[in-house]
Amino acid sequence: MIVFQETRGVVRMIIARGAGVLLAMICIGFALPVHATSPVDFTNDIIPLMSRLGCNASACHGKAEGQNGFKLSVFAHDPVGDFRALTRESRGRRISPTAPADSLLLRKISGAVGHGGGVRAPRNSRAYSLFLQWIKNGTPYEIGGRPTLTRIRLEPSRQTAAFNASQPLKVMAEFSDNTHRDVTWLSIFHSNDTGMATVDEKGIVTIGNSVGQTSVMARYQGKVATFQAIVPRPGPKVTYPHLPNHNFIDPIVDSHLKRLNIIPSPLSDDATFLRRVYLDIAGRLPTANESETFLSDSTSGKRSGLVDALLETPEFADYWALKWADLLRVDRLKLGHEDAHRYYKWIHESLSKNKPLDHLARELLTAEGPLTEQPAGFFYRAANNTGDMAAMVSQVFLGVRITCAECHQHPYDRWTQQDYHAMRGFFQQVTTKNSAGGLALLAEGNPTIKHPRTGAIIQPYPLGESMPEEPPQGDRRHVLANWMTHPENPYFARNLVNRLWAHFLGKGLITPVDDLRETNPPSNPELLDALAASLVKNNYDLKKMIRIITHSRTYQLSSKPNATNLSDEQNFSRALFRRLPAEVLMDAVCDVTGVDEKFDGVPRGYRAVQLWDSQVQHYFLKLFGRPARATVCECERVTGASMGQALHLMNSPNIQTKLAHEGGRIKRLTLEHEDDADIVRQLYLSAFSRSPSRDEMNTGLQYLGSRRFQRRKAVEDLAWSLMNSFEFIFNH
Amino acid sequence: MTIKNFCDGWARRDFLRVGTAGAFGLNLSISHLLEAAAKGEVDPSKSDISFIFIFLKGGLSTIDTFDMKPDAPSEIRGPFNPIRSNVPGLHVSEHIPETAKVMDKFSLVRSFTHSNAGHGPADHYMFTGFHPVSGFNGGLKPNNQHPSMGSVIAHKLGPRGPIPPYVCLPNMHNSGSSAYLGAKAAPFTIEADPSSPGFAVPDLQPPLSVGAGRVLDRRGLLEKVDRFQKSAEAKANQGTRELGVFAQRATELMTSKAAKEAFDIHKESPKLRDAYGRTTLGQSCLMARRLVEAGVRCVTVDHSNWDTHFHNFRVLKEDLLPKFDMAIPTFFRDMEDRGLLKKTVVVLTGEFGRTPKINAKAGRDHWSRSFTVAIGGGGIQGGRVIGKSDKWAMDPAENPYGPEDLCATVYHLLGINPRSEMHTPEGRPVMLTNNGRIIKELL
Repeated sequence: MIVFQETRGVVRMIIARGAGVLLAMICIGFALPVHATSPVDFTNDIIPLMSRLGCNASACHGKAEGQNGFKLSVFAHDPVGDFRALTRESRGRRISPTAPADSLLLRKISGAVGHGGGVRAPRNSRAYSLFLQWIKNGTPYEIGGRPTLTRIRLEPSRQTAAFNASQPLKVMAEFSDNTHRDVTWLSIFHSNDTGMATVDEKGIVTIGNSVGQTSVMARYQGKVATFQAIVPRPGPKVTYPHLPNHNFIDPIVDSHLKRLNIIPSPLSDDATFLRRVYLDIAGRLPTANESETFLSDSTSGKRSGLVDALLETPEFADYWALKWADLLRVDRLKLGHEDAHRYYKWIHESLSKNKPLDHLARELLTAEGPLTEQPAGFFYRAANNTGDMAAMVSQVFLGVRITCAECHQHPYDRWTQQDYHAMRGFFQQVTTKNSAGGLALLAEGNPTIKHPRTGAIIQPYPLGESMPEEPPQGDRRHVLANWMTHPENPYFARNLVNRLWAHFLGKGLITPVDDLRETNPPSNPELLDALAASLVKNNYDLKKMIRIITHSRTYQLSSKPNATNLSDEQNFSRALFRRLPAEVLMDAVCDVTGVDEKFDGVPRGYRAVQLWDSQVQHYFLKLFGRPARATVCECERVTGASMGQALHLMNSPNIQTKLAHEGGRIKRLTLEHEDDADIVRQLYLSAFSRSPSRDEMNTGLQYLGSRRFQRRKAVEDLAWSLMNSFEFIFNH
Repeated sequence: MTIKNFCDGWARRDFLRVGTAGAFGLNLSISHLLEAAAKGEVDPSKSDISFIFIFLKGGLSTIDTFDMKPDAPSEIRGPFNPIRSNVPGLHVSEHIPETAKVMDKFSLVRSFTHSNAGHGPADHYMFTGFHPVSGFNGGLKPNNQHPSMGSVIAHKLGPRGPIPPYVCLPNMHNSGSSAYLGAKAAPFTIEADPSSPGFAVPDLQPPLSVGAGRVLDRRGLLEKVDRFQKSAEAKANQGTRELGVFAQRATELMTSKAAKEAFDIHKESPKLRDAYGRTTLGQSCLMARRLVEAGVRCVTVDHSNWDTHFHNFRVLKEDLLPKFDMAIPTFFRDMEDRGLLKKTVVVLTGEFGRTPKINAKAGRDHWSRSFTVAIGGGGIQGGRVIGKSDKWAMDPAENPYGPEDLCATVYHLLGINPRSEMHTPEGRPVMLTNNGRIIKELL
């Protein structure tokens, strides 16, 4: 038996080199089966089939330790190993060449014997026949001369669909000999948002009851394709009003909303705009005085003037340095106190100087020399290894997540293991040495990188490019930086504007923001392209880009929904409510109460937004989701709610201390203003950045008036209730 | 509890609460739960079963406690001797004599094993039943790639009344969170040590300086002031919907006398508190009992530090085991006395065991290949020994069980079908357990 197995192994090797099937059949002495001419082989037919049936899923035989003694590589990243597992391991009992139908493989998948994974392919199924035919053909690994798969496409690829509509998808595979074939039955489907649309295993999409845009992907043999559904609001077509365009952004959003049968909300009032831009640009609330000044200003163009002014405040750099310090991982535990601080200062300075973002990326990527002089290089110290560096650079600057491809083909994207290791190759030269100026970062030598499975040499090349014959000369990181910051780069500018858009509008054009991939298309591709082109044209000028975005009508819309956009949280037809980030909310509490928070390690007077160290112990900041900066994922910052947050805002002794503080604002207000109306007004201006309405004024007056002898406490109560309101906790 | 159950086992209050949440578009809707029951995902007849997970972080040395090897050479056996327990034929360490008297109340799985001997990943594996995959960062809090058992229970079964379904004591373990199941399945964490004299759950009560009357005044004022609370805006935004539900739950929690009392450990008799031991472990176990009594579905007690690389025997004998031997037996007796044990599954384990071979520092290092997990209550037969380790506790000798099986067993006992699915936000279906088997010998 064993000898026979070995013989089969030899035969297979011949086949793998491209010899004819016929020869193989004769060699192992089969009676020539009728199917001998039908090409069925392992790599082209059986692997897709096993993937389709879920055999190699990570929950089944694809998991690290296999399942019930049978192990396949997850997503078939190791076809040779899988072939061996199927045909050779377990004394070859899984395949029975002499009686193909008795093969354990077939008996398992058809349910003839017990199978933990259930019946995957009944005897009369197409899948079963394919397996059977393969075994009858002598289980060839790969039949030479078969055309290779070049790409797959979905039919249809984009479609407007109604609520609850059903849309079958067809997956067409295109081959190197210009033939194509329907491989729907062998493809795997996946919906990006099951709330918007679901897809079954046959590729039939069912649209849900939500307005917007969504996509469904198909995967076959490591290739992916995407179907995009546009789901308009049902009902009669509304007449789209004629709206003024503030800049190029608005007509692109309008044409998308028209397709969806949605009308945007009107422009926000000045007070809402004021509060929104202060929070978004400077990370703080306007003071009562600032609010009054802006609200009473009657000059036209005051909105743009305010944006310009805010961009020049020190708070702008503080707030944006905080954002970038999260992304670039200013992690004290990892870098040490002094180095983390140097790194932060470099980030802060870059932002206050408005360093063009391509320069910022290039400095970071190509940092070299003593780290005290080149603090951008601490980026590399935050990474654990070259794989980490490649993954961090890809995610932060390209918005592409490649870590899946470290071990196997990325299941939702085109990236292969080779692509991953080619990106790693750019960082193989990076090393540190002790120099006269302290620890220095260097890029030296000409190290090679090998494919972890095949052992083939991989030369460094950027994502989506092809592999060169020779490795780049000199410091390879320059090659990557040149590619990345080239105006035509498909990722860099798109990633940056998408992140910016998400910051200002509460949701990226692509979500999650750092997951740009073929199968996660933007909700408004034209807008993403236009914004990216604008960033390139404006030389990657961050402030310029902020001016453009905040100037758009789209940014300035009211958050008040109308009948057509009530359920739209995706297409920027109204402003979204965004909870204030932990640090901003903390500072807002301090501003309204007029009592600073003292943080460990920094002098009194430092605001939470100014903290360079995300590890400073602080219950409030932790509770409201400050990230630990353990990864470059924007998702580390928690924006969601919890019961602890709700309890803390209501009951925190720390907040109560601020309200009742002898040196605080509440006491001062009661001393300075005899008229209750002034107090109510001051509190509304500082907490909500607006004057109270008449009703609100009356409520306030009534509350204070009925508590004459407890006036200060009554004012505390009013401030407490303002700070527990959605209007305070959210940017709206 | 005074809450009346429907015939299918769901509390009426749950319906009301759930209904409210559903109106705000959250995933916990009545139909969701009924659907779950209809699809056989949950068994409503078991909805009164709770779960307490006592996690001895660092790794309890089970070779020195629950699975001793007196016949092994001294470099494996160590200086501790076995003694008889109240279960004939079952021997445990001489340093847990009180625990020896309650060995009939829970069982031991002596053939427990898994594949990771690093703290972070092993913890994740034990908390979730899923071995972490690439990209895992144990230092993150939370670090969950998959939801913890408590989060799965909260997600599948929802809260019982005003008290949260899942509570972590005294802090949330890094792997104790909800991953893709979201905020509603995340634990309510105490973030305070119940053994400290001034223990109080943070923010559960308004500050003392704000009297009861003012609390009501403030709440009334807030309703008038917060113009968005009942507005179209609040319904049309995910963030406000979520915070709205939590704020409502927080108010219910604050105003529920039963919930408030459950969290107030000072209501417990000093004598019983002494019996549990005035230690973090003792008082956390007592708190866990109080919370389950008040309706919490899952309580996790995270206790450190069992990572005895150095002076294993001295540390166990002088510090860890004396505390353990007050807390654990008192807990089991107390639970039984109150009729809670039969309605509460209790699991007692570390993330792994410790090396059979004693190291040069008289310590034992990490050993995940073979260790013992203690499980009792909630329909589990006590006093049993399931499986066994080989002669030096290097590997299981028979019936190996792993974290998947532990999770499957816990879910099963709580009426949750371990073969049902949960979904990631991208809609990827994930089985509750990675093909976990129910440990049938326990039942």
